[in-house]
Amino acid sequence: MSGADALGARARLLTQIDEAARVIAPLWPLSTFIAVNPLWDLRQLPFDDAIACATRVLGVRGHPPAPLFAAAYADRRVTAADLRAAIDDRSAARGYGCGRGQWAGDGGAARTLTVTERHDSSFGTAIAAATDREVAKWCAAYLGGVLPAQPGGGFYAAWRAIVARDPAARRMAGRAGRDRLARLGSQPEGAIITCLERLGVGEEERVPELARQLARMPGWAGHAKWRSRWAAPDHPGPPLHLLDYLAVRLGYEAELLGVAVARPSRVGRAPRAPRRGRWGRGRRQERGVPPRSEPFDIASLPDDLRGHLPGLPATEVARVWLGGYEGHYRDRLLAALERPSPAPSARPSVQAVFCIDVRSEGLRRHLEAVGPYETFGFAGFFALPIRYRPWGSADALDLCPVLVRPNAEVAERPSPGAAPTAGRQLTGRQALAAAQGALDGARKGALSPFILAEAAGFFAGPLAVTKTLVPARYLRLRRWAGRRLAPPTATVVDAGSAGVGMSDEEQALFAETALTTMGLTGNFAPVLLLCGHGSTTENNPHASSLDCGACGGNRGGASARAAAAILNRVAVRRLLSERGILIPDGTVVVAAEHDTATDRVTVFDAHLLAPAHHDRIAALRRDLERAGVALAAERVSRLPGARGPDPAAAVAARSADWAQVRPEWGLARNAAFIVAPRDVTAGVDLACRSFLHSYDPGVDPDGIALETILTAPMVVAHWINAQYYFATVDPEVFSAGDKTVHNIVAGIGVVQGTGGDLQVGLPLQSLFDADQAYHEPMRLLTVVQAPQALLEAVIARNPVLRELFDGQWVHLAGRDHADDRWKIRRPGGTWTWWTPAATDPKEASTRG
Amino acid sequence: MDESWGLTRMTRVEVVVAGDDVALLAELFAEVGATGFTAVSNVSGLGHSGYHQGRLLFNDRNALALLTVVLPPERTAALLDGLRPLLAGRSGVLLVSDTWVSRPQYFQ
Repeated sequence: MSGADALGARARLLTQIDEAARVIAPLWPLSTFIAVNPLWDLRQLPFDDAIACATRVLGVRGHPPAPLFAAAYADRRVTAADLRAAIDDRSAARGYGCGRGQWAGDGGAARTLTVTERHDSSFGTAIAAATDREVAKWCAAYLGGVLPAQPGGGFYAAWRAIVARDPAARRMAGRAGRDRLARLGSQPEGAIITCLERLGVGEEERVPELARQLARMPGWAGHAKWRSRWAAPDHPGPPLHLLDYLAVRLGYEAELLGVAVARPSRVGRAPRAPRRGRWGRGRRQERGVPPRSEPFDIASLPDDLRGHLPGLPATEVARVWLGGYEGHYRDRLLAALERPSPAPSARPSVQAVFCIDVRSEGLRRHLEAVGPYETFGFAGFFALPIRYRPWGSADALDLCPVLVRPNAEVAERPSPGAAPTAGRQLTGRQALAAAQGALDGARKGALSPFILAEAAGFFAGPLAVTKTLVPARYLRLRRWAGRRLAPPTATVVDAGSAGVGMSDEEQALFAETALTTMGLTGNFAPVLLLCGHGSTTENNPHASSLDCGACGGNRGGASARAAAAILNRVAVRRLLSERGILIPDGTVVVAAEHDTATDRVTVFDAHLLAPAHHDRIAALRRDLERAGVALAAERVSRLPGARGPDPAAAVAARSADWAQVRPEWGLARNAAFIVAPRDVTAGVDLACRSFLHSYDPGVDPDGIALETILTAPMVVAHWINAQYYFATVDPEVFSAGDKTVHNIVAGIGVVQGTGGDLQVGLPLQSLFDADQAYHEPMRLLTVVQAPQALLEAVIARNPVLRELFDGQWVHLAGRDHADDRWKIRRPGGTWTWWTPAATDPKEASTRG
Repeated sequence: MDESWGLTRMTRVEVVVAGDDVALLAELFAEVGATGFTAVSNVSGLGHSGYHQGRLLFNDRNALALLTVVLPPERTAALLDGLRPLLAGRSGVLLVSDTWVSRPQYFQ
């Protein structure tokens, strides 16, 4: 092959790898857990076709199992009328398709297997499993810093430098085989091409072969995809790229296949099967995953359905059940939203903006019930995509959805006049960090753990008992000690002033965008509260999954503080007034953060408030506390094992408990994304199941705000919804399994037990209550109150929206204005009047 | 093109792809030895798969990007080898044209 041909072959390989990687999802590090649709890169296909593709390559289930529907039918959560409506609906929607490319149009094809999987299946070898084991071992070693990095090289170079001395490679492949591994080309592209040729994979077969190679361990491969396609180029830490990952993986596969052909006895059965998609019932139960479904007995169905459903293919039956299940929820939600909302009784004393997160809905509802409050919903980064550097910290946080990159750096700094306490705090934090570092070092040493146990056991034992038996008291004690060592100090978050940081114009633009998008452009109350959210939990590797998705899996308080600082600036208000948004001088913007584990709300930066506002803020704090207690009482009824006369204390104890596997339910049961003024949803108990985004088409004649809402917050909501959906439908593949056996690897992910693949998705305890699904798996229902022509124009100019709505990844209902009836959008852009299935008088609730 | 201008012929490749695919394009350019490229994000226009909005405020991944790279002609075929399968399955535009540069050493 000439040099030019070789170069072309390598370029084609890069594209083939990218295409193959569409079947797996990027996996973000634990510190910024991002809920993502596991099939996001197959969204060009309609939902059902993407599931067929994933079934073929990943070996997954894509529709909820029959027992879930059986239980739902018994509970009247889906009725015969819903099923009949779903059958009619599917007849109307059939025939639509929008996908193209490698993965389109072969839904009936057989299961995709790698060359070595086919060999294993035919000859009883365990090449693929052995490869999994070795690759997982090296990935963990590389990312954990155990495998020395090579100058200018990545994972492949580091592995290649050490594999020549690896006893495991010699045991599996023999001395000669191990030498061949070490002599693979210096560049990963060349090594992959060589290995594919040795495996007999032709050019046309490369994409499915590579896809299946990646699908065998979607955790490590997902991390490599994140690093290759989503992480900033300068992201710290050892880079594990797709190219390197596949080069190592295929190196083992090609070598072990050669060994297996020559000496079948050497590559025998692996001691344990590491691939989750092929696990049997015993392995599922070991992970705590509910057993796979048994056929659903449909004897309880009416005659017409019993006659119709058995004649359909199994996947079609599952689609009908899913359609009925989703339709049932949709009907009750839309019916509830048709009722006129009560008129506000008084002019609001406070306007409060909360994140669109479903957990905010409960707090908003309870806050509105205790006083004259007007609430709004907006993505919790408040339109400020910033890189935030907390004071005294070397690490910066990207506080924005992962769909965008931060475009400004914002720092926290001590308030003027707070220098003495700031210095003491910094000294205390440095001392605590040094002590923590010494403790961690002692834990990880060869002999020091024994000395540490002798020296510190006297204190650690009673502390552990306290932590276990009275976790809330322990947390108070720890915080008290922390305050003594590092006293709190007043700080400010400043986006820019006096020519430093963001310019006044930039700040005004962000402020205008935020206010216009949420429809708050006039009639400002004396206090405007911006409330982010975060979750305080203990001993929880997946803690960031409970924080704010709009803030990139971080707590949202800093975003609220930065936005409040901008909106309080005189220069910004002057520029806003020139654009028709007049914020009165008497209006103060205040930042806060809702702790979704405890339902307590912290109001920030009291030291910045003028005395004239103190009484109002004190009253606001009291009402936020009352609303939080009411929400805690509501949540306690849903949390298994939560009890006691004091709901606030009960949720606080869970939050502080280091043995608690389910500190809160997070976003479980999320189901709808509502884009409308609060009037549409006010007074309706949405049971913390709806993302609520405020929107006023009256201030959005071009649909720019609507476009922003649908292409960013709705996409994030869809990711969350799809993550919960697939993790509940097939927890064996899409969930992280039982969190009681998680071990953290290299700070970037968890494995089950001692090794194997990185676990993807949410832990089982975030989805299931024992063996019953708590989350109700259904596709997101987006409800928009806006002129249909405007909505269709926005969809028409955004391919991602056409893919989501036409491909039925997301359902869409809409109406032009509050007096209109709801319509349902069908694939392709036709709209039909919403007609609810016959209502069963025994049930009717938006709670689902 | 007047030879007296003292310019060197190169090939200019312009590609419009989704923001999602920019990382792959950067890999491809590096693979074929491109020393740099220009990226313009949030471009809009009408094409085979309908209209593409360019101004998405908070979504860089689903807006289109225009990437321009200049290569010695002998490396262009290799880049096209990588781009053809990409555009076979995804939305995009590929334009290839001759261009002339004054400092060829920057593009070798």
